[in-house]
Amino acid sequence: MSDPSAAIALTAHLALVSSISFGGFPTVLPDVRNFVVGTHGWMTDQEFANFFAIAQSIPGPNMILMMSFVGWKVWGFSGAVASAFATSGPPCAIYFAGYRLWDRFRDAPWQRIVRLGLVPVTMGIVIASGAVMARAADTGWRTAGLTIAAAAITLATRFNPMWMLLAGGALGGLGLL
Amino acid sequence: MTQAAAQEQDVEQSVPLASLFTAFLTVSLCGFGGGLVWARRIVVESRRWISDREFADIVSLCQFMPGPNIVGIAVCVGAKLRGTLGTIAATCGFLVIPWAVGLSLGLLYLKYTHLAVLRNILGGIAATAAGLLIATGIRLLMPHRRRPAALLFAALAFGLIIFGRLPLLIVLFGLVPLSIAVAGLENARAR
Repeated sequence: MSDPSAAIALTAHLALVSSISFGGFPTVLPDVRNFVVGTHGWMTDQEFANFFAIAQSIPGPNMILMMSFVGWKVWGFSGAVASAFATSGPPCAIYFAGYRLWDRFRDAPWQRIVRLGLVPVTMGIVIASGAVMARAADTGWRTAGLTIAAAAITLATRFNPMWMLLAGGALGGLGLL
Repeated sequence: MTQAAAQEQDVEQSVPLASLFTAFLTVSLCGFGGGLVWARRIVVESRRWISDREFADIVSLCQFMPGPNIVGIAVCVGAKLRGTLGTIAATCGFLVIPWAVGLSLGLLYLKYTHLAVLRNILGGIAATAAGLLIATGIRLLMPHRRRPAALLFAALAFGLIIFGRLPLLIVLFGLVPLSIAVAGLENARAR
């Protein structure tokens, strides 16, 4: 498929949904799927799922990469670049404006209280995200043990996480998990 | 300005833009499954640019804005340390090279998704990455460990997502006002 008007429609849609993707881009993934698979039929469900799996398994800005694969499928390299900008541009502008506003009131008493209330809830959510990922990767007691060991080592030491990730990948590759 | 704030000002002015670029380039390239782990490790532990407490503030702020939160962390840490130029350096470091590498790798990968060995390796990495993310959340919660209400709300948020299976947005917008109200009451009583 190589159609500039399709690429323009995709780019505009991505710019819109990235501006409202509260809680991270995965929250709007169902909408993007409906747009590219259902409404326009630019790719199959299987292709969309493969893009997700691959984006999750390579380091870097996962969701921006996934949308670049989608853009690539629609309009080659230019489509990939346009999708990357549409996915990252609007949120970056919002983050910057939001931080400036927050920083202006950093010494205000109300902000200290907001922080005290806000941080515990978001950290509970971060820990829950880790648990969700663990459940997705869980194929038995060995993978669960690996997750717990990695968490324990990180908490107890300042050991470089890269070695742990390599060890985890090696254990999987050798068929030990 | 307090002495601590003055010291903070010194650190902020001494961070070179190139360091911001390379730091977030590293965060991005290392960030298997969860860039948050590496962002904390590099920004707080290795380079000591900001404290755990400030880092947790930035992460929480980003949760409330749309977009990929980890990119928001690059934008905010850059803005905090070096203003507009800092944001551009950190964000470009995070996005440009990793995007090019990731796109090439991904297009190559798409040809080999059926290989079992590849899937097993990725499975092992994913299980480890999950453990790292859990540990990072616990670390960032540590500055609040002496407040029972903080631990309660963290446990509630965790439980509602894992056991209640509620969507993230509902948990976020449902619990945060309550949690802030309790913090406000505690603060009023302490006076």
